[in-house]
Amino acid sequence: MLEIRNLHATVEGREILNGIDLIVRPGEVHAIMGPNGSGKSTLANVIAGREGYIVTEGEITFDGKNLLEMAPETRACEGLFLAFQYPVEIPGVANLYFLKAAVNAVRKYRGEPSVDAMDFWELIHQRMDLVKMDESMLKRSVNEGFSGGEKKRNEVFQMAVLQPRFAVMDETDSGLDIDALKVVADGVNALRSPERGFLVITHYQRLLDYIVPDQVHVLFNGRIVRSGGKELALELEEQGYALYNEEPGRARRAAA
Amino acid sequence: MTAAAAALPDRYRPDFAGFAADRREPDAIARLRRKAFTRFETLGLPTRQQEDWRLTDLSGLQQWNLQPPTIVPVDAGALPTLDLPAHRLAFVNGRYAPGLSQLREMPDQALIASIGQALLTHPELIVPYLDRLPGLEQHPFAALNTAFWEDGALVYLPPGTVVETPIHLIFHATGSDMAVYPRLLLALDEGAQATVIVEYQGAGRYLNAPVTEARLGDDAVLHYHKIQQESPAAFHFGGIRLQQGRNSEAYVHLLSFGGLVARTDLEALLDGEGANCTLNGLTLARDQQFSDVHVRVDHAQPHGSSQQVFKSVLDGKARTVFDGMIHVRPHAQKTDARQVSRNLLLSRQAQANSNPRLEILADDVKCGHGSTTGFLNPDAEFYLRARGISASRARAMLVHAFANDSLNQIRLTPLRERLAHLLAAGLALDFMETE
Repeated sequence: MLEIRNLHATVEGREILNGIDLIVRPGEVHAIMGPNGSGKSTLANVIAGREGYIVTEGEITFDGKNLLEMAPETRACEGLFLAFQYPVEIPGVANLYFLKAAVNAVRKYRGEPSVDAMDFWELIHQRMDLVKMDESMLKRSVNEGFSGGEKKRNEVFQMAVLQPRFAVMDETDSGLDIDALKVVADGVNALRSPERGFLVITHYQRLLDYIVPDQVHVLFNGRIVRSGGKELALELEEQGYALYNEEPGRARRAAA
Repeated sequence: MTAAAAALPDRYRPDFAGFAADRREPDAIARLRRKAFTRFETLGLPTRQQEDWRLTDLSGLQQWNLQPPTIVPVDAGALPTLDLPAHRLAFVNGRYAPGLSQLREMPDQALIASIGQALLTHPELIVPYLDRLPGLEQHPFAALNTAFWEDGALVYLPPGTVVETPIHLIFHATGSDMAVYPRLLLALDEGAQATVIVEYQGAGRYLNAPVTEARLGDDAVLHYHKIQQESPAAFHFGGIRLQQGRNSEAYVHLLSFGGLVARTDLEALLDGEGANCTLNGLTLARDQQFSDVHVRVDHAQPHGSSQQVFKSVLDGKARTVFDGMIHVRPHAQKTDARQVSRNLLLSRQAQANSNPRLEILADDVKCGHGSTTGFLNPDAEFYLRARGISASRARAMLVHAFANDSLNQIRLTPLRERLAHLLAAGLALDFMETE
């Protein structure tokens, strides 16, 4: 469903992605691992269409459609979702209002009428339980004053409400303690389905204990240098990115 | 007097003589007019050499040959409604329009009326009070108003009178190269309460220079809304003087959306212990608009409090000014005074000026002020778009978020909603219904 071919991208004139090839089929979960600065978040932002990320070569198609020609909101309406590494605080915009605007934007794009108030309310409550979110968070401004864990849970909650066909999780595990990590992973696992694809970007193998990927790719210097099954993640955990001039995972575990 | 300052009054001198000769009104009022005109002649039109008018561009106005207003018929549909039962007084080109007005039953001895008519029937409510409040002495347009006002509104509430029904005062101007000087006199005696909505609007190229004087007795409560939606070619210079007695409460909302050049000068004198003054300002300026708010809150007695929040949304090549002074006299201990100015720039060419000032002569007070100016957060915009929300709606949501707490302070729901739509329409933003 998502096909990336020979993708090159620059940020502020610096080449960050140097020819990425990746195919994710419906129902698959792919993990992208790699050291800091390898281009993981750039890949996520290019897929989502963030300004300032310039594709210089290559293409991305989503169900055969040219993704790179679409505005970010069109990508979202087509069923793409980015769980942000750093969810943005938006004072004055209530979470619930924001979610309803998002749901209705997608429905409008599909030519559907605005969501029925009761249906929306039920959907919201069902999904809140999934990520163990407190109802008070609905009335609060988007991410404002949320803890790191609450912000990440809010990302998964939005994903659960919007039910995208393809989700990119950009270091959704960073900054989470083990309980929060489990909540987030449970939320993602609950959404796994034969029709839905995931690209899980992470620095640590830890998340992949809970979200078990079909394939793992190692990103280094803007290229995928290795791909393999879920056991590749364990191997990286043991050896770190030493092969790729980065400290071993042991040091990271100690730091965490 | 500089040459520039001298230029305009000559145009008015014959006008004033003719204007004054025709009037039948108490001598005290005639004297007031002459005195004010003399003051205007001394002051002249403001120039940019004057510190207080440094940022205000009056060059457009100086080209005009200002005429007295003429009487024109206006269709009721051109005037706004509150969508609520209201005491409604409408004025067209500064003159009372009874056909467009509607007065409801009033409490005993209360008076809501055209001030021109009330001057004939109830001079005792006007003559001793008109132009008596301090402030705006150096304001040339306030002086012009006192010299040339023809009509406006009188609201008089005797002690303890609570008027629940909103008082809606509409000033519509239409014409070319014309000047109108509406006058408002509000007197809330001890314990009286009222909600007043004043709307200024119009079509064409005109000068509107209204003056409002509001006296609040002890324990009186006034909710005052000024909604300025003048025509895109108009100049608006409004003056508001407010005097507050002991434990009185004033909630003043200044919403400024229209005009080519618009300015409001507000002077509030907290003249009784424990008086509270809350000022809520929201300005929208776009294209070539210039919009200015000058505020001076004078704490003269102990235990008073004042909160000022002034926000501006700027687009195009618009410019705004906020100049806010908190003055605390030596005797006004335990004063609590806050002031915040926030500006949101939607365009790189827009310019917001903030000049918060404190003059604190008492030693046991809490005073604070702050000012911020910034653009829409591109990360927030992207975040919304990444959830499927269009770019225009994302911007609308963020602007609305910025302005929302100002609008939310307006308790009359239909008015608040109308203003939210006005704001949206003014910015050509894609607002959706809120829930």
